[in-house]
Amino acid sequence: MINIFIDDKPFKVKEGTTVLKAAEEAGIAIPHLCFHSAFPPEGSCRMCLVEIEGLPKLELACSTQVREGMKVSTRSEKVIEARKGVLEFLLAEHPPDCPICDKAGECKLQDYYEEYGLFDNRFRESKEKKQKNVKIGKSLILDQERCILCTRCVRFLRDITKTRELGVFNRGLHSEINTYNGEPVNNNYSGNLAEICPVGAITDSDFRFKTRNWFLKEGESICPLCSRGCNIYIESHKGFARFPVPKRVYRIKSRENHEVNGFWICDLGRYGYSYLDEGRLDKICVNNGKGNLTWQECVVSLTDEIKKLHSAKKASRIALILNLWLSNEELFLIKKIFVDDLGVKNIYFVDSSGGETDDFLLTSERCPNKRGAQEIGYDLKPLDSENLMNKTDLLLIFGMPAYDPNNLAEIKALFENVKTKIYFSSHSDELCSLADIVLPTALIPEKEGSLTNVDGIVQKFLQVLEAPGECRPEWEVFVDLGRELGININYYKQFNTPEVVLKEMRKEISFFENKSE
Amino acid sequence: MNELIIILIKIICALVWFLLLTLYLTWAERKESAVIQDRIGANRASILGIRIIGLFQPFADAIKMIFKEDFTPRFSRRFLHTLAPFLSFFFVAITITAIPFGDVLKIGKQTIKLQILDINVGLLFVLAMLSLGIYGIIVSGWASNNRYALVGGMRGAAQLVSYEVALGLSLVGLIMVFPSLRLSEIVHAQGGLLFGFLPKWGIFLQPLGLLVFFFAALAETKRVPFDLPEGENEIVGFFTEYSGLKWGLFMMTDFMEIIIVSALLTTLFFGGWQVPWLAADGFHFPWGGQWLLPHGIVVLLQVLSFNMKVIFFCWLQILIRWTYPRFRYDQVMDLGWKLLIPLSLVNIIGTGIVMSF
Amino acid sequence: MIKALGYFIEIIKGSIITTRHFVVNMHFHILKVLGFKTKRKGAVTIQYPEQKREIASRHRSLHRLMKRADGKPRCVVCMLCVTVCPSECIYVEAAEDPDPEIQKYPSIFIIDLSRCCFCGFCVEACPEDALRMDTGKIEFAEYSREDMVYNLEKLIE
Repeated sequence: MINIFIDDKPFKVKEGTTVLKAAEEAGIAIPHLCFHSAFPPEGSCRMCLVEIEGLPKLELACSTQVREGMKVSTRSEKVIEARKGVLEFLLAEHPPDCPICDKAGECKLQDYYEEYGLFDNRFRESKEKKQKNVKIGKSLILDQERCILCTRCVRFLRDITKTRELGVFNRGLHSEINTYNGEPVNNNYSGNLAEICPVGAITDSDFRFKTRNWFLKEGESICPLCSRGCNIYIESHKGFARFPVPKRVYRIKSRENHEVNGFWICDLGRYGYSYLDEGRLDKICVNNGKGNLTWQECVVSLTDEIKKLHSAKKASRIALILNLWLSNEELFLIKKIFVDDLGVKNIYFVDSSGGETDDFLLTSERCPNKRGAQEIGYDLKPLDSENLMNKTDLLLIFGMPAYDPNNLAEIKALFENVKTKIYFSSHSDELCSLADIVLPTALIPEKEGSLTNVDGIVQKFLQVLEAPGECRPEWEVFVDLGRELGININYYKQFNTPEVVLKEMRKEISFFENKSE
Repeated sequence: MNELIIILIKIICALVWFLLLTLYLTWAERKESAVIQDRIGANRASILGIRIIGLFQPFADAIKMIFKEDFTPRFSRRFLHTLAPFLSFFFVAITITAIPFGDVLKIGKQTIKLQILDINVGLLFVLAMLSLGIYGIIVSGWASNNRYALVGGMRGAAQLVSYEVALGLSLVGLIMVFPSLRLSEIVHAQGGLLFGFLPKWGIFLQPLGLLVFFFAALAETKRVPFDLPEGENEIVGFFTEYSGLKWGLFMMTDFMEIIIVSALLTTLFFGGWQVPWLAADGFHFPWGGQWLLPHGIVVLLQVLSFNMKVIFFCWLQILIRWTYPRFRYDQVMDLGWKLLIPLSLVNIIGTGIVMSF
Repeated sequence: MIKALGYFIEIIKGSIITTRHFVVNMHFHILKVLGFKTKRKGAVTIQYPEQKREIASRHRSLHRLMKRADGKPRCVVCMLCVTVCPSECIYVEAAEDPDPEIQKYPSIFIIDLSRCCFCGFCVEACPEDALRMDTGKIEFAEYSREDMVYNLEKLIE
């Protein structure tokens, strides 16, 4: 620990950090464009110039290491003047494109201009014409005019993915970012380029021109598309009073978490959000001719079925097919009700392994909570319909979002064999017309809970979207069911939120004991 | 038989006169307020494109009111709700029977009094009928079963009852001067001359009485300076729950009250149908000249004189309505009980003292 | 009592003012009916559907979308009008223009005039001067709400 002074205030910082990081930790923002914490400092944008006492010239905050007794001023007149100068040169070639630029509103260059500049253009020369619409990847579009050559994208492809598709070509005024021989950026992390670009030079064709980012509400969530559990922001649009927008979720962005995903997420998680809006089931469907039922009536009739079987000592004729999109709490509640209280043995899991994998973030499990199910004590059996044929009266099946079961014929055959089939699903699919009661469920961004990722990290997630229509989170349904069943009523009475369930899990299961978040 | 026909004709003539004047008073009110406010006023109603400064407007209004939905709220007392506007209308309309429009018309041997009924307590009759009009207001407020309407009705009743006292007392002096309650006699008594040249009208004999009567009568009409029962920006009024023709009846009652007040003012204080210096056979000027006229012309002049006076007072009341803002409720009560009633008492005593000498 | 007298004087003054207005205006009305030409009129009323008052140059009337020289809409779908609109009556959807200099053009541009409060913020916000409220049209009442929803074709003419 060494002592430094930033803007005349003393701070204790770690030895070996840079001025920029030290200042950031102290809550003093130093403007920077090319610097990104994931990469070593580059020092190409010159925005982070600060004045250090004793040094003749202004120094780069991003690459200067702190020394004992260093006196840094980040707001002196000289520094402000220098920032203005840098900005003016950066803007000399930057087109005033903001109205049509997707980055506007979250663009650092725009913010700094607002903070330091607001000057008129003093250059009488016209701006250099460059290509404005270069397709450099499957969903990336490069605008060379807007590029300020911070080389964040080049460094990302060099240091993180190590695929090196982009480079800086030519010199001086003519230098530009481009691909080698037109070979496009083709890796599973290309979406991060649009995110780290400090200006609107690289835009994402998935988001391009769809809306403006200030209409979007950012919600912290966890990506459920593989068992890594990357931290993400879900950006949703609430629509306008008279004009509903076609979808809720417009963009997924990565959220910094060094234990799990660092700064990055893969393209599968970034672009695979359409399941949140498309094909959703938002009404309870009753196919056995009992008319329209409310959630309460459904839970009551389900309870009656279970009670009938239970009192006739036929609990073994209940079977469950679960999926691994259920949260820790839901899996725990199912275990409590069906295994511990009722003694159900036929619990099977939908197999969702075997996806493509890479050695960075993406895992082969296309479900978020396999580890959680294991730790709670399930022995993840895949569906064994032979075992269930003619031995089952009540089947509870949990459909996965956008899931196309490869054993559909098997399930159909099983359905014909079972008297009562209850289908919990967030999406309407083929099974919806076959089950007796189809109950719409909420997806992970629409409920609260926690997930255990592949490395055993338990991560909580909060509700960031409204559940559509009659959709309800499963944990609520199971708490209701537990209370209705009346076997252990007081136990289920305490569960008002998933947090209480997690607390109970910490008491009962040693794995969760020490997991705080 | 003959008498009956004559009375019927008189009733019809008086009612037609009364209703036509009422109808055109609505038009006059709009036009006068417009002229006061530098506007033009209603001028769009037309028949076959002929507009004539909006003279058809009252008919358009009437047609609109007739065809509007006659809505009775579910929670109201249906019978009383329907009865109230008729009560209001009836008690005002009936007062016209006692008003003398002229002296006598002689056709052949027949002598027709230009007055429907010459009751010996005519003045009391008019005042009594006007007081009964309160029932219309209070019943409508009560039957609407709406607290705003009820508050409006109660305010109306309180105001009318308060001013009834001043109204009656202000006329006591007049009755002392013209010792009769028969309206035709009061008018006849005003035919004489004061000091040899001044018509012996009520205004010259009872100036203070006139003042009190005028204010009290204004309050009786419940129009703008005194429109607390309606008070559209505070309590919305006793006819909140009325629409269509029933509401129209209330509106017409309002205008008919203006006419009745004007007619009473004319009859009691401005010589009724009297024209200055006009006797039954023609003019007799105080400076000695005379101009004899046939009987028909004299009657015509008398009726005209009465009408012109009435119209002038209608105009004056409309002017007042478009000039002043509304009183506060306590101010209305103060004015009635603390100013007008003492003044009318002073008037009675003063009149007595003067008469005893 | 003296106070009440003061009121009385003010009451008389008030009625004199209204009477003066009545008499003066009536005088001019009668002169007009009699066929005299007078310098001023008895009323300031403008007989609207027949006579129309000239609209001030700053008046905010019906919106219009401006065109480029080649007839395309000038709008670049920056959605600033949508952002600034206090009554949320504007809806714009963008599409990709083949011309890289334009890039973004409106495929849908809707103004719901039944919701619009004519504050003119959208015009002030527009960076391209693509939206103006200077048509001078103020009579666009319709029989249904749907007809009050103006789309791109209706706004650009």
